[in-house]
Amino acid sequence: MIEQDDIEQRLARLSGATDALRPSAGFSARVMLAIEREAAPSFLESTWFSARRLLPVAAIAAAMAVVWAVQVDSSVDDELAASYVSAELE
Amino acid sequence: MDLLEKAVDRVLSGDRSAFQQIVDATSQKLVRLGARIMGNQADAEDVVQEAYVKAYRALTAGEFDRRSSTTTWLYRIVVNGAIDAKRSRKRRAEASDEQVDPGWDGAAFAEARLALSELDDWLQALPAEQRAALVLQSMEGLNNSEIAQVMGVSEGAVEQRLVRARAALRQKREQS
Repeated sequence: MIEQDDIEQRLARLSGATDALRPSAGFSARVMLAIEREAAPSFLESTWFSARRLLPVAAIAAAMAVVWAVQVDSSVDDELAASYVSAELE
Repeated sequence: MDLLEKAVDRVLSGDRSAFQQIVDATSQKLVRLGARIMGNQADAEDVVQEAYVKAYRALTAGEFDRRSSTTTWLYRIVVNGAIDAKRSRKRRAEASDEQVDPGWDGAAFAEARLALSELDDWLQALPAEQRAALVLQSMEGLNNSEIAQVMGVSEGAVEQRLVRARAALRQKREQS
């Protein structure tokens, strides 16, 4: 029992004596720096997110390019056909 | 609702800067807890910093379910981190010229560091889980139910760890 009391007394004494422990100067700033690093996206992530935002615009532009190409192609075909007909008539 | 819970709400609603308030409100307690388990301040600060990063990650990912209070949750992250670090890491050399926050009493801080060194020598032979349970009960003032919540084990397991820790300390005393 005396030994047990001795252990409890020593624990209580060391508890009181270590109460004054504090984080060292700048600890809070170091933590927030680590948090900012955690929060900031990496280069690849930020590139991917930027590119993803442009995806709908790029899809519309590609569709319009295809429509324009088909239209140009068919008008060229019409003009060629017309020129063959006039050549045959001559 | 206290300031800490309000700060958690703000982080959850996307205000990342509110995490600073969580750090300011809890760092003193958590570093002291970490130091008592790790046995030195430098390792404790590493553990607590890692714990804050984990907590931030969990908060922003919506993984904190608030079944326990924020303080209990942070205690759990620090205690788990300290136990893992105690098992795996070699003790880091304590920087003798470490800067003390100018607002604190330097003499009291120096005495606390001496007491921490004595505590570490005394509890060094204990397994990390037993040491953590003893620190939580006898130095942080938690009851067995609270310790069980922090350590994620049953109250019976906590009781067993405490009995074994005290038995080991008694045995150590008899041998010396």
